[in-house]
Amino acid sequence: MMQSQISQRSLRTRRLTMSAMFATLALIFTYVEVLIPYNLGVPGVKLGLANLVIIIALYEMDFKYAMTINVIRIMLSGLLFAGVFAMLYSLSGGILSLIVMWFLKKTGKFSMIGVSMAGGVVHNMGQLLVAALVVSNLKMFVYFPILVFSGIAAGICIGIVAYVIDQRVPKQLFR
Amino acid sequence: MFKVIKKADIVLFVILIVIGLGLSWLSVASKVTGQTAVVTVNGQEYGTYSLSRNQTVTIKQNGHTNKFTIKNGYVQMTYSSCKNHICIEKGKINQTNQSIVCLPNKVVIEIQGGNSKYDAISN
Repeated sequence: MMQSQISQRSLRTRRLTMSAMFATLALIFTYVEVLIPYNLGVPGVKLGLANLVIIIALYEMDFKYAMTINVIRIMLSGLLFAGVFAMLYSLSGGILSLIVMWFLKKTGKFSMIGVSMAGGVVHNMGQLLVAALVVSNLKMFVYFPILVFSGIAAGICIGIVAYVIDQRVPKQLFR
Repeated sequence: MFKVIKKADIVLFVILIVIGLGLSWLSVASKVTGQTAVVTVNGQEYGTYSLSRNQTVTIKQNGHTNKFTIKNGYVQMTYSSCKNHICIEKGKINQTNQSIVCLPNKVVIEIQGGNSKYDAISN
């Protein structure tokens, strides 16, 4: 009884520590991405390195933890680099994509790569939705096809890397 | 490594690609040279400018400034007080339904008119 209580508590502490580290790591990834200058002509096309951390958190910890890490990361990066408005786009994209990824993961039919791919596309969709709302103009959706493809490509890249990393991360970190 | 990919992944991939292709086809199919530039600020119409007259227009609102130029039937954003300047990098446009969007300043320039199949689309 005592023993299990202690291990329960130590698990929670470990997860709390891991979440904090993950949030930091995700924030650093966001920063690294801001540093890499690439311009493909369409705003919003990017790799989404931070999603790497979020996917591993989703798989190894829980939806709750992944969501918390994600929201903390977006808030901090919004305050630090992107500005409050960009935070709004990221927040909608990030939350929407995480919910979709969680559902796909729960079905058990998809691998990490498929989950990440869907996440990439939905992330772009969520951002575009808010952008269209902000300027009250549905014409924003001319960017949509490009963002679908870039979401697929980025999602697959991130999914493969996340899978490889997930195989190598010691599991006792999380349980 | 490739054993990881499941059947459902491939199905999802194909579906997404088809959606993407369908959407790009839709946007390519509706390519027509436009006649007017409609400027929207904050969701409200600001003004309509003919593409056949060369001019430079300055939009001043809520402390934001944007300048666009119409030249030889093309519209181009030439100045913006926003930070990212995505609207300026977008370059010049002249096709119907093309648009230049400056999100930070909430300014949208849209091309309209031209020999479209439809006179108007209500929505």
